[in-house]
Amino acid sequence: MSDDDEFENGVVDVEEYDDVWVFVEEHDGEVMSVSWELLDEAERLADELGDDLVALAIGEDLDDVAEEALERGADRVLVADDPVFEPYRADPYGEQFRAMVEKRKPSIVLIGGTHTGRDFAGRVAVPAHAGLTADVTELGVDDDGLLEARRPAFGGDVLATILCEEHRPQMATIRPGVFEAAEPDGDADGEIVEADVVVEEDDAISEVLEREVGDTADITEAERIVAVGHGIDGDLEPARKLADALDAEIAASRAAVDEGWVDGARQVGQTGKTVRPELYVAVGISGAVQHLEGMNKSETVVAINNDPNAPIFEHADHGIVADLVDACPELAERFDEAAEPQEVVQ
Amino acid sequence: MSWTIVVGVKQVPDADEVGIDPDTGRLDRASAPAVMNGPDREALEAAFRIRDQVGGEVIAMSMGPPNAKTVLKEAVAMGCDDAVLISDRAFGGSDTWPTSLTLARAAEALEADVVICGEETTDSSTGQVPPGIAAHNGWAQLTYAEAVDARPEEDRLAARRDVEGGHELVAADLPVVVAAAYGEFDPRPAPLHRKIYGENDFEPTVWDAEDLEIKDEVGLEVSPTSVGGMETVDPVERKGEVVDEIDDLADSIEEVVA
Ligand SMILES: Cc1cc2nc3c(=O)[nH]c(=O)nc-3n(C[C@H](O)[C@H](O)[C@H](O)COP(=O)(O)OP(=O)(O)OC[C@H]3O[C@@H](n4cnc5c(N)ncnc54)[C@H](O)[C@@H]3O)c2cc1C
Ligand SMILES: Cc1cc2nc3c(=O)[nH]c(=O)nc-3n(C[C@H](O)[C@H](O)[C@H](O)COP(=O)(O)OP(=O)(O)OC[C@H]3O[C@@H](n4cnc5c(N)ncnc54)[C@H](O)[C@@H]3O)c2cc1C
Repeated sequence: MSDDDEFENGVVDVEEYDDVWVFVEEHDGEVMSVSWELLDEAERLADELGDDLVALAIGEDLDDVAEEALERGADRVLVADDPVFEPYRADPYGEQFRAMVEKRKPSIVLIGGTHTGRDFAGRVAVPAHAGLTADVTELGVDDDGLLEARRPAFGGDVLATILCEEHRPQMATIRPGVFEAAEPDGDADGEIVEADVVVEEDDAISEVLEREVGDTADITEAERIVAVGHGIDGDLEPARKLADALDAEIAASRAAVDEGWVDGARQVGQTGKTVRPELYVAVGISGAVQHLEGMNKSETVVAINNDPNAPIFEHADHGIVADLVDACPELAERFDEAAEPQEVVQ
Repeated sequence: MSWTIVVGVKQVPDADEVGIDPDTGRLDRASAPAVMNGPDREALEAAFRIRDQVGGEVIAMSMGPPNAKTVLKEAVAMGCDDAVLISDRAFGGSDTWPTSLTLARAAEALEADVVICGEETTDSSTGQVPPGIAAHNGWAQLTYAEAVDARPEEDRLAARRDVEGGHELVAADLPVVVAAAYGEFDPRPAPLHRKIYGENDFEPTVWDAEDLEIKDEVGLEVSPTSVGGMETVDPVERKGEVVDEIDDLADSIEEVVA
């Protein structure tokens, strides 16, 4: 086979590609938890394949981030450190990441399925003619060492297995919260490699004019959650009372987030987070498939809804048909009482 | 100043009508009616807002089978000035790589200043097509855009983006590809005369792979990914108990949190 044939349609010699890469997403020095979730999951894949586990970070002043990636199991950390990368923009990130991929030829590249990850991943995969699987919730390796990336489709009714046989790297974005991150073992063996920075500010085609920092809550680790939906009609108070009494985090459906009642960081579902609490109380949420996808890993689901036909009741363990404005505070009272010290009987 | 604004519109099976085939127990998508992808209605609204601001034309484009022209007629009924159907057997089996290449070439042929897409589709929902279009053409992109603001004097479009831990206002050079955040652009009611024209008289222009000079760059052959299998997801087993008294509900919760 001539070289020309070999690269026909972007098909490559897959044998030339190895190592498992994980993108470590950071903003202002703060690493997104999905990155550490992936590093842990990727360690398992790398072991199975006999490959090295490589963390990749792009940003400014990344020494601490690189060190932590080593402590969390990376064999190597590739760092592209330059002010052009802060704050994040798709064009410089994509360009830099692509250059690193084309030079070092990883077999697998995993990126957190955050807005940032899903924004720039295509700017790497398209020019590299790599396979890119979206929003993956399960990862495996088949008998031939191919990545099996499984992802929900058709609103979560189907789990599709996506393969990338003849192109490299095998790239995927992974939904936040589906894997659990282990604690770092403190052992930072491994190498930090500075990559050449290939982009310049003059070439940028976008500019960040303003940034507002919002709620950075991480609901994926919460043990108890009270999630609110469109049914709260703008009034968070009843649900908040219940959340306080249960010592639970507030989460929300997309409809409640879109209304601006709750911050996007707390959204559960297909385009939000996957949560796995012991208790999930859905308040004024109808139970759309896209919402269920994010809450299905909960141990016990409780629903409060005033419509007896709301689909959420079929997807809950315990439910009550009631107005949330009454039901939430009444429930809260029961748990406030329980939390108070018992009165001493004289 | 007037801009050419091209909107990607995809035909998908109606999510509410996808049932289970009683004979095979599998999902029966084939019999579900085909409709416009919901988020694309919002992409159209975002486009109309830009047209209100700077003037110009909104053109809908759809890559799909011949019957996808229905969603284009609907787009015109909603207020688009024109529409193009990109249809060819050669497109069969395309993953997001050739799909976004095709749409990128069409956007180029239409001399787009702005391309607007939905956040993601309700069928395969990768959300990869908008960044893919931008990447194939080397254009700027603004994904998860909650509001758009044309800045014709700078040849830029600004958008408020929903990003990790907050929001940002980003300005991008034209041409630019926008993915409109779902739930942020409430579609306006269709003007009656457009509705009648779109539904009755309008016929979209049809392009094939040859017209876009991409015959050898589309389809299964050039698609890096393939669907290896699909399993129907069994719903998670839940007790489904509904009680009448708050106290009974509290007892159940107590068992969990105790
Ligand atoms: C591409 C795409 C991605 C999506 N991603 C997500 C996602 O990640 N997460 C998500 O949640 N959704 C997502 N959605 C949206 C989803 O389809 C639903 O529209 C959304 O989940 C509905 O939210 P809701 O249940 O809060 O609102 P609604 O469906 O409006 O339900 C409100 C419920 O509140 C009840 N109610 C009203 N008043 C009261 C009261 N006083 N007391 C008690 N109950 C009351 C009503 O009976 C109703 O059941 C997505 C949609 C698309 C197209
Ligand atoms: C179950 C399943 C899983 C799949 N998973 C993957 C995967 O992980 N990776 C991959 O590369 N391919 C995948 N594919 C193939 C992919 O679905 C097709 O290429 C599809 O045509 C485009 O992707 P999308 O529907 O996800 O678009 P999205 O990227 O979700 O669409 C976003 C927006 O782009 C515009 N747009 C998208 N398609 C069109 C169109 N045909 N015409 C006009 N505008 C359009 C619309 O405005 C739309 O709202 C999968 C297919 C199936 C059936």
